[in-house]
Order: sequence, then structure tokens, then C-alpha cells
Amino acid sequence: MLLDYDRLGGWRWGLVGVGTVVMLFLLLPIVFIAALSFGDSQWLVFPPPGWTMQWYQQLLTDPVWVNALLTSAKVGVIVTVLSVVLGLLAALGLARSRFFGKSALQAFFLTPMVLPVVVLAVALYAFFLKLGLTGTLTGFVIGHLIIALPFSIITIGNSLQSFDSALEDAAMICGASPLEVKWRVTLPAIRLGMFAAAIFSFLISWDEVVLSIFMASPTLQTLPVLIWSTLRQDLTPVIASASTLLVAFTVVLMLLASFLKKGSRQ
Amino acid sequence: MTTPFLQIRGLRKTYDQVVAIDHVALDIKQGEFMTFLGPSGSGKSTTLYIVAGFQEPTEGQVLLNGKSLLDVAPNKRNIGMVFQRYTLFPHLTVGENVAFPLRVRRRPESEIKAKVEKMLELVHLADYRDRLPGQMSGGQQQRVAIARALAYDPPLLLMDEPLAALDKKLREEIQFELRRIHQETGVTILYVTHDQEEALRLSDRIAVFSQGRIEQVGTGEELYEHPSSRFVAGFIGNSNFLPVKVEQMGAGRARAIFPNGQAVEGDARAFAAGSEGTLMVRPEQMRIRPHATSAQGLAVTVRDMTYLGDSMHFAVQTPWEQELAVRMAVRDGQGLCIGSSAVLEWDSQHGHVFA
Ligand SMILES: Nc1ncnc2c1ncn2[C@@H]1O[C@H](COP(=O)(O)OP(=O)(O)OP(=O)(O)O)[C@@H](O)[C@H]1O
Ligand SMILES: [Mg+2]
Repeated sequence: MLLDYDRLGGWRWGLVGVGTVVMLFLLLPIVFIAALSFGDSQWLVFPPPGWTMQWYQQLLTDPVWVNALLTSAKVGVIVTVLSVVLGLLAALGLARSRFFGKSALQAFFLTPMVLPVVVLAVALYAFFLKLGLTGTLTGFVIGHLIIALPFSIITIGNSLQSFDSALEDAAMICGASPLEVKWRVTLPAIRLGMFAAAIFSFLISWDEVVLSIFMASPTLQTLPVLIWSTLRQDLTPVIASASTLLVAFTVVLMLLASFLKKGSRQ
Repeated sequence: MTTPFLQIRGLRKTYDQVVAIDHVALDIKQGEFMTFLGPSGSGKSTTLYIVAGFQEPTEGQVLLNGKSLLDVAPNKRNIGMVFQRYTLFPHLTVGENVAFPLRVRRRPESEIKAKVEKMLELVHLADYRDRLPGQMSGGQQQRVAIARALAYDPPLLLMDEPLAALDKKLREEIQFELRRIHQETGVTILYVTHDQEEALRLSDRIAVFSQGRIEQVGTGEELYEHPSSRFVAGFIGNSNFLPVKVEQMGAGRARAIFPNGQAVEGDARAFAAGSEGTLMVRPEQMRIRPHATSAQGLAVTVRDMTYLGDSMHFAVQTPWEQELAVRMAVRDGQGLCIGSSAVLEWDSQHGHVFA
């Protein structure tokens, strides 16, 4: 290639420099927050004069924070399960059948990805107010599901695409009923795609904030919403520790997803 | 008369405007190795898939032991099948792949274990039971696929070009094993290929497909010695086709003349006198002589000769400047050299006149 890294000569160092700056730009705030969450300064002084775990202790003993954490986890798990199940059904339908309006339906399924989240949030808020769903777990779940589902459909659809449907024929002629074929052959073959869909769905729900702000009530809110609303009142290192937890969990799931991707390529 | 084991009757399949197969009819005996041979797109797979149940015919019937197969769902037909593509389940070990059809039949564990053992022994892969398909060669995978297809003792085994993706040496090795497995199990096999050598090597009988129809059914010898059409003659073995004009029809024989006016006789079906035709003679059934030894000889010029060890290959030119291929034993070709004039002879029963 013309712009091969090995052929860039002196330009190479420039490239490395730009890359480093961008990386620092992206990573420094997170490192900064993580450091502050362990610092013993009430006023978020940087660099921290000393180190402490007290903000984490406060975080995990304050019922408001703990409740938010639990709500986030609960919503995330339910959204994950629903998103994978519905995504699987939709992807199977789109991949294995031919019907009128299929491509239109396919495009429709993906609209939440391109629609601005705020627009979606306002629309859902107005609608859910009528139904009395704001401030409920159901409201959170439906809202997050709408954003997560397209990712599930795409991820599972891709793994169905690379799956040879002759395997289904082979299983069928071996005596397996259509349901058994799906259960014993199709699902195991696309399981990595389903894991990936699950992780993405959870992550989307886990750090979703725009929709959640509209759905939240004083008694029911997710971790990102609580961080945001606390931030508006006062600046405490507890926010830093909550944010660090949020990021840490996200990183763990991302690593898991990339391991899965590596596994599926072997 | 007993009913044939498998009857294929008047099958026709169309996709919108395309006629994939038409008037396909065939009776297959129990234990027979029947091969569908034909060029690409001639309808071999379509016929096989209708028997398997992946496709429904537009018209026609398929009967197994006198009972219609078409009313039975594919997973209830109890037929074995091996595909051209590798279709082992990638997440299951070799042993579990072979066990799969038994598990969906809810057979007892002890029976499954014994059967898997036996099937893997049949294909000589007993040591590979715990491997995953991805860790095996293509040839090994196809052998496992054969074991899986036979694990439930199906009365009928379908194979759609199972060896097409393998190299020549491996292909011959598995062809040999397939013959042995056929003899050991006595299973009836419907086999699809477009490789005539493979068809001749494996089959009891061969059905030659062309453009969605069966051109001829017979043993390899019948097809080779008595092809019923120019297409079959050209598809099985090597042939020379000489242009002739039919003069006279007798009982199964025709008298015809070559473009140079010389008369010739050959086997023929019904023919209208005066029509154009083709005389087919196999290269190895022709002899080149320095001088004529019989009445039916064609004056030719030797254009090329190739020494092939066990035989000699000649290219000769007819008076109307057509090149013909001739194969002879090395000692019979002595005394000939490139450019020399000679006489081409063959026994008249080896000449076949086609439309
Ligand atoms: N799904 C389909 N839609 C339209 N036409 C089809 C379809 N499947 C097969 N055909 C046509 O039917 C004819 C027979 O196809 P078939 O697959 O049976 O041929 P084949 O003898 O198995 O050839 P090959 O050796 O290439 O596998 C071909 O002309 C093919 O184009
Ligand atoms: Mg085919």
C-alpha cells in the first residue's frame, strides 16, 4: 500500500506523536477520575495529597447509590435477555425467509441507531406518561431495549450469514425436527454472536443516560442518572468512585467481548 | 413381478421459467449403486434433492417400497445423505457427529456408544472420536459424514458429489473405501457426479443426465459399448465423430457414406434414409495399417504419434481433413511414422451411427 506504515520514513514519528496525543486525550480524563476516586481530598485536589478507600465505602453503604447500582444491574440484565431473544427471532426471520417488504422491515429495525436519542427519549416520555410507565422498571427496560435491539439484530444476523445453512439440511435429513435443528445445530453455531449481542446490549443499557433521565423518578434511577443528578448539586469524590466503577465494569465486558471475537476467528 | 425398491416416476421440476428436470423416471433395485452422471446444470442434484425432501417436484412421484416418499417430511424419511460441502457440525466431536442421528431418535446410550464405535471403524477413523471436525482433513471429514449418514441404518444413501472438493489421489482412495462400504453394508446408494471415471469405477448402473432428462441408463459397459446417443458416447470415454449421410436402414444397422463418397456400415437406431448423421468409433477400436486388409478402410495420413508407455497415441487425418484419435498397442504401431500414408480400419460392430 502507498501509505504503508513501514514506508512512511520520518513521517512515522509524526504519526506516532499524533496517535499518542489522541490516546492521551481519550484516556486522561478516565485516569484522572480514577485517581481522584482514591484520593483523600474532599475538594478533588489533583494530584491527591493522600490515598483512601472511604469514597467507595460511602458509595457502597449509601442506600441511594446502592439502589441505583441495583436498578442499573436489574435493567441491564432484563434488557440483555430480551434483546438477545428478540434479536435472535428477528435475525432468523430476516435471514431465513423471503417475503414482500423484507428490506423495508430490515431498515425499520435499525432506525433507533440513526435516530437522535433525545428525540426518541422525548417521544417515549410523552407516550409513557400517558401509559403511566415513567419511573417504572418496565419504562427503563422498554426504552433501553429499543436502543439495544438493533445491535443484537445486526450481530446475530452477521453470524447467521456466515453460518452454512447446509448444516441445517444435514441435521434435518439426520432426523432432527425443525425445532431440534435450531436448538442443536443453529444456536450452537451462532453462540458467539449471541454472546457478543448480550454484552453489547448490557453495555448499552449500563451506560445509557439520555433516555434514563426521562424515565427516572426520585425513587427509581440508574447509576448514570444518579451521577448526573448528584453532579448538579454538589461535587463529591463519591461521584468519581461511582464513575470509576461504571468504567471498570464496562472495560471488563469489552475485554470479554474481544476475547470472544478472537475465539470465533479460530 | 415384485415392486422395485425405489421408483422415480415422471419427475418434473420448474423454477419460474426454468425447467430443471423433466420426465425423469428410474427404477432402482435394493442394494444397487446407482450413479447420476451428467454435465453441470443437467438436473442431477435437483432429482436427488427431491428424493431427499429438500425440494418438491412440480409433477411426478417417488416411491420407496411402493409407498410415496413425497408425503413424508424430510426428517422422517430415514434417508442418509452426504453433501458436497463439509456439513459436520463444527461444535460437536467426530463421535458426537456420528451419534447425532441416534440422539434425535432417542436411542439408549449404550446402543449409541456401540454404534458410533462400529461406524467409525467402518470408515477407519476409530482413533478420531474425540476430535473436532475443524481439526481434520477434508477427506477425513467426508468419511465421518459417511459414518454419520449410515449410523441409523438407512435403507437409502444419497451422495451429492461428496468427493468433488478433494484432490485426485484422496478421491480415488475414498472411492475404493466407498465400494467396500457398499459391499459390507448392502445399502442402496444414489450417487451424483460429473466425473465419468468415478461413475465407471463405483457404479452398478449409471443414469446419464442431459438438460434435465435421463439420456440413457445402463451398466458402464453398456453405456460404453452401446451408447444410445451422440451425447452419451461423447460423455463416457473418448470418441471420434465422423460425418456421414445415411443411405439405407437395415435391422439395427445403417449403411452410410462418408463425405469422400466411401461407404461404411454401423449400428444404428431408426433412421430416415438420406438424413445427415454421425459415425462414432472409439480411439482404441481403430487400427492403422500400412495397407488395406479389409473392405472397410479409410485412407489417412499420420499427423502425430505419442508414446504413452502402455500404448501409442496417433493423430491421423482423413481425406476430408478431419483429425481423428487412435490408440494402439505399441507393437502394432511399429513401421508407422509421421507423414506416412496408411489405412484406418475398424470392425463394423464398433461403428455407431447417431443423428
Ligand atoms: N433455486 C433455483 N432457482 C432457479 N433455477 C434453479 C435452482 N436450482 C437449480 N436450478 C436450475 O435447475 C437446473 C438443474 O440444476 P441442478 O442443480 O439439478 O444441476 P446439477 O446437474 O446438479 O449440476 P451441477 O453438476 O452443477 O451440480 C439448472 O439449470 C439450474 O440452473
Ligand atoms: Mg449439483
